[in-house]
Amino acid sequence: MNPRLMEAISLLSRWFVAGVFLYASYDKVWEPANFARSVATYDLLPLWAVAGVSVTLAWLEFLVGVLLALGIRTRAAASWAVGLLLMFTGLMLYAGITGAGFDCGCFPGGGGQAAAHQAGYEGALRDVLFLMPALWAAWRPGSWLALTPQASARAGGDYLSDSWSRSIK
Amino acid sequence: MSISRRSPAVWSTCLAILACAAAGGFLFNWLMPQGIGFLPPEVSSPLWQAVTPAEAKQLREQGAVLLDAREAGDYGQARVRGALKLPADEMERLYRYLEPTLKQAPALVVYGQSTSRFPAATLAQYLRRQGYPKVLVLEGCLDTLRKAGFDIQQVKRQGAKS
Repeated sequence: MNPRLMEAISLLSRWFVAGVFLYASYDKVWEPANFARSVATYDLLPLWAVAGVSVTLAWLEFLVGVLLALGIRTRAAASWAVGLLLMFTGLMLYAGITGAGFDCGCFPGGGGQAAAHQAGYEGALRDVLFLMPALWAAWRPGSWLALTPQASARAGGDYLSDSWSRSIK
Repeated sequence: MSISRRSPAVWSTCLAILACAAAGGFLFNWLMPQGIGFLPPEVSSPLWQAVTPAEAKQLREQGAVLLDAREAGDYGQARVRGALKLPADEMERLYRYLEPTLKQAPALVVYGQSTSRFPAATLAQYLRRQGYPKVLVLEGCLDTLRKAGFDIQQVKRQGAKS
């Protein structure tokens, strides 16, 4: 495939995932009590772990969004994005199976039974769609408009070629 | 081989990102007024007292009012027989309707707890702040209360298979 086209896809994927994560996290970071309530709704964590996990999760989403937007440590940030999206997909499937029907707490503006972002199968499908560009960014971080050498050292480089270039230094 | 040489760098960066997220989150929560503690205040510094199921039964015989603090939907599905509905997430709006009844009770016993949520503690804290001297929390989920011998009223959904 044309390397410039690969670079363009990498940049768009990186920015798309960054946009999703930044949009999803700003409200969680700023209003931690609301997000802690959303996390508690899933009833999966013990009470003592809810605040710590929700705060860390909100900041992790935010940090991943910033790193992807700026192209800093892109591969690691994209790997986190993949991991988080896999976890969110699992949570959405769990909510769908149990028929919970509550707001998923994924994006701002939720709350209540008639929320715009209800947890369930539709949410799982949405997360799987978000997973595609995240996987691409983890596979080929690209170098266009990226700040760190890791991302820009090798245009369109993948895991194997990067590791090879490192191992022969 | 090359993957194994490459992997530690990505993994260590991933761990560093996680550490930065945790540090940023805890610092923000410590410094900002909207920050939250490890536990909600109604659990970390409770104004209420816990009560055992046996004590709760005894209090009910003496006229204590039993309150269900769970969400209205949960109350609609199953509840301790005779318990009044006062969901913690709607307590400020619904409290005034129950106020005359609650004022006459010698004690209030609240229940409602799940793995991640403790609405009974939230409601009990609120009621203590409303001036009720004796607010007690019956810890445990509905299943625990059933095992402790409470009469649980199960409401069948219309059209549900028996």
